[in-house]
Amino acid sequence: MNAKDVNPATGPRILVIEDEPTIIEFLRTGLGYEGYQVTIAPDGRTGFDLAGHQSFDLIILDLMLPDMDGFDVCRKLRERGNETPIIMLTARQEVADRVTGLNLGADDYITKPFSFDELVARIRALLRRQGKHPEQSILSVGDMVLNAETHEVSRAGEPITLTPTEFALLELFMRHPRRVFTRETLLNRVWGYDYAGDANVVDVHISHLREKIRDKPPRLIQTIYGVGYALHPEDDA
Amino acid sequence: MKRWRNLSLRVRLTLLYVGLLALLLAVLGGVLYWDFQNFLLESTATRLRAQAKPIIDEASAAAAPLEHAQTLARDLTSRETVALIIGPDGETVAVGKTLPEEPAPPPPDPAYDARALAGENEVTYVAQMNGQRYLVLLIPWRSAPGSPDILGVIQLSTPLAPIENILLRQKLMLGLGMMLTLLAGLAGGLWLTSSALKPLNQMTETCERIAEGDLSQRVNLPEREDEIGRLAQAFDHMVARLEAAFAAQRRFVANAAHELRTPLTAIRGSLEVLMRGAQDDPAATSRLTQGMYREVVRLSRLSEQLLDLSRIGAGATIHKQPIDLQAFFDDFLYQARLLARDRTVTLDAGDPVTILADPDALMEMLFNLMDNAVQHTAENGIITLGWRTTPESVQLWVADDGEGIPADDLPRIFEPFYRGDSSRSRRQGGSGLGLALVQALVEAHGGRITVESQPGQGARFTITLPLTMRDVDPLEKIG
Ligand SMILES: Nc1ncnc2c1ncn2[C@@H]1O[C@H](COP(=O)(O)OP(=O)(O)OP(=O)(O)O)[C@@H](O)[C@H]1O
Ligand SMILES: [Mg+2]
Repeated sequence: MNAKDVNPATGPRILVIEDEPTIIEFLRTGLGYEGYQVTIAPDGRTGFDLAGHQSFDLIILDLMLPDMDGFDVCRKLRERGNETPIIMLTARQEVADRVTGLNLGADDYITKPFSFDELVARIRALLRRQGKHPEQSILSVGDMVLNAETHEVSRAGEPITLTPTEFALLELFMRHPRRVFTRETLLNRVWGYDYAGDANVVDVHISHLREKIRDKPPRLIQTIYGVGYALHPEDDA
Repeated sequence: MKRWRNLSLRVRLTLLYVGLLALLLAVLGGVLYWDFQNFLLESTATRLRAQAKPIIDEASAAAAPLEHAQTLARDLTSRETVALIIGPDGETVAVGKTLPEEPAPPPPDPAYDARALAGENEVTYVAQMNGQRYLVLLIPWRSAPGSPDILGVIQLSTPLAPIENILLRQKLMLGLGMMLTLLAGLAGGLWLTSSALKPLNQMTETCERIAEGDLSQRVNLPEREDEIGRLAQAFDHMVARLEAAFAAQRRFVANAAHELRTPLTAIRGSLEVLMRGAQDDPAATSRLTQGMYREVVRLSRLSEQLLDLSRIGAGATIHKQPIDLQAFFDDFLYQARLLARDRTVTLDAGDPVTILADPDALMEMLFNLMDNAVQHTAENGIITLGWRTTPESVQLWVADDGEGIPADDLPRIFEPFYRGDSSRSRRQGGSGLGLALVQALVEAHGGRITVESQPGQGARFTITLPLTMRDVDPLEKIG
C-alpha cells in the first residue's frame, strides 16, 4: 500500500525534535500520511545540528528534552539567524511559559496531550502564514474542479450541488488521489472518530456522490474490492 | 464573666492594672490622711497641754486653790481655747469664757471626766456641739505636780475648724493626686499593653492573610527575645515549613500530571493517526499499536507506583513478619536473574539472621534497586546482592559495576520523579519514582537507605534496617 500520497521530493519538510519514542512514531507516521517529509531528532543537540545543516519548512520542538531543553534549542536557533517556524510541544500550560516560548521565537505552541488533528491544523496555518507550501484550495482531477474555500464543485464546467458529507468525501479523495481508503478510515475522517454507526453508510454516500458527479465506468472513484475506495484520475493507465 | 472575657485583652489588662492602682492609691491615701489627722490632733493637744501646764502649776501652788478656780479658768481661756473646771463630783465649777469671741465650751462628758478624776493624765476626745467639732483635753488638777490628790478636772476645748480646713485641703490634694496618677496609669497601661500586644495583632492579620491562601506571608517581627518574639519566630518557622510542604505537594502533583501527560499524548496521537488512515497499513498499525501498548504498560506502572507512594505516605500499615534472610534471598535471586538477563548476579550472604519486616515491602525495595542496577549496567555487567549484620542492625545491598551516578545527581535521586539525564535519554519507561518508593518503604521500617557511587564504577545502594529487641517480639512471631 502506498503510504506516500505526495511526491516525497515536494512535500513540506518538517523536523521533529522529540525524545519520546511513541510520540515520535505517531508523528512520523501521521505527518507522513499528511504528505510531509519528516526528519526525526531524538534530542536537542542533534535537532540543533540538523536544523543547521539542512533546511526545513517547520520545526516541531518538544520542550522537555534530555540534554538541551526546547527553550535553549529555540533561542540558539534564533541567535544563529535561523527563522524556520517553530511549534513548541509543551506539557505546561502556564501563561508564563507561553510568553517565554513566544519571546524566544517559537511561532506557536501546543500543550500535551494534544489532538493530532489540531497539530495538523496548526502546521497548515503556520505554513500558510509563512507563504511556504500554501495548501491548494482549488483541486482538480481531469475535468472535475473542487474549490475547498467556496465549497463549489463543477465537472466539465457544470456546477454540482453536494451535501457537506459528500463534499468532504470528494475533497478527501481529490487531496489524496490514488490512495486507497478503507470504509473505517473514511468513517473516521468524514463522520468523526466517535461515530458509532454502520460502515454501510459509507457505501450509500459514495453511491450518491457518484450519481451526482455522473461518475460512470471507467469510474473516477473506484471500488477496490475487499478494501475500500480510491480516486483514480482518468489519465491513469 | 462572659462579658469580661469578650473584652479585648488590651482593655482587660488595662482595667485590671488601673483597678489595682486605684486600690493601692486609696489604701495609701487613707493611711496617709488618717496619720496626718492624728498628727494634727496630737500636736494641737500637746501644744495646749504645754501651754496650760505652767498656769495650772502656779494655780495649784496657791493656798485653797479651788477658790481660784474661776481665775484659773479665765487664765486658761483664749481666743482659741476655752477652759472649764469640773469639781470632784462632776459639777462645773468654773467656765473660762467671758468674751463673745471666745469659743463656747462643749458640755462636760461625765464618762471622760470620771477617767480624769481617777487620775488618768491624758484623756483626749473629740466632742460635737452645734454641728461643730471640738478637741477636748481633760487634765486632772492636782494639789501639787505628781500628787495623787486630785482637786478637780480642767477641761480645755478648742474648735477643730482650723484643723479641719487643713485636712480638707489635704483631702482635696490627695484626691487630685490620685486622679492624676490614675489617669497617667490608665494612659501608661493602655500604651504598655497595646505596644506589648501589637505584635499579636500583627500576627492575627498575618494569620488571616495566610488563611486566605497566601502562604508566603510572615509576621517578621523585628528581633526581640521576649515571649511574643519567640512566638512570632516559631510561627514564622511553622508557616515556612507549611509553605515548603505545600510547594512540594504541588510539585509532586505537577510532576505526576506531566508523567501522565506524556503517555496520554502518545496514546491519543497514535490512535488518531491510526483512525485517520494508518490502520489501512499493517506495518504502521503494528508499530503504532506496539507503541501504545508500551505506553499503557508505563501508565499502569506509574499509577501503581503513585498509589503505593500515597499509601505509604498516608501511613499504610506495614505487616511485619519474621523473615529468614537466607531463604528470602534464595527466592529473590531467581527473580533477580530473570530480570538481569545476561548480567551476572551474585549473592554475598552474611550470617543467617531472621529480621522482622514486611516481606512484600522488602521484595519491592530490592526489586526496584535490582531494576535500576539492570538499567544502568552493560549487558555483561555484574550485580551483587548481599547482607551483613551488626548487633543493632542489618544492612542489605545491591551493587552494580555500571555507569554510576554523577556527583551532582547523588543528592537528588531519591526525590520523586527525579531521573538522571542518562536515564531520561535512555527512553526506558521509568518515571523516577522507584527510589522515592524504596526510600519511603525503608523509612516506614525505621531504617534508612544510602548510596555510594563513582561515575563509571557502578553504584551501591545500602538499606540499613534496625534489629531492635522489639523486632523479636514473641507475640508478633506467633501472628
Ligand atoms: N544503579 C544505578 N546506577 C546508575 N544510576 C542510577 C542507579 N539507580 C538509580 N540511578 C539514577 O537515579 C535515578 C532515579 O532512579 P529511580 O529508580 O527513582 O527512577 P527510574 O529508575 O528512572 O524510574 P522508575 O524506577 O520509576 O522506573 C535514575 O533515573 C538514575 O539516573
Ligand atoms: Mg528505578
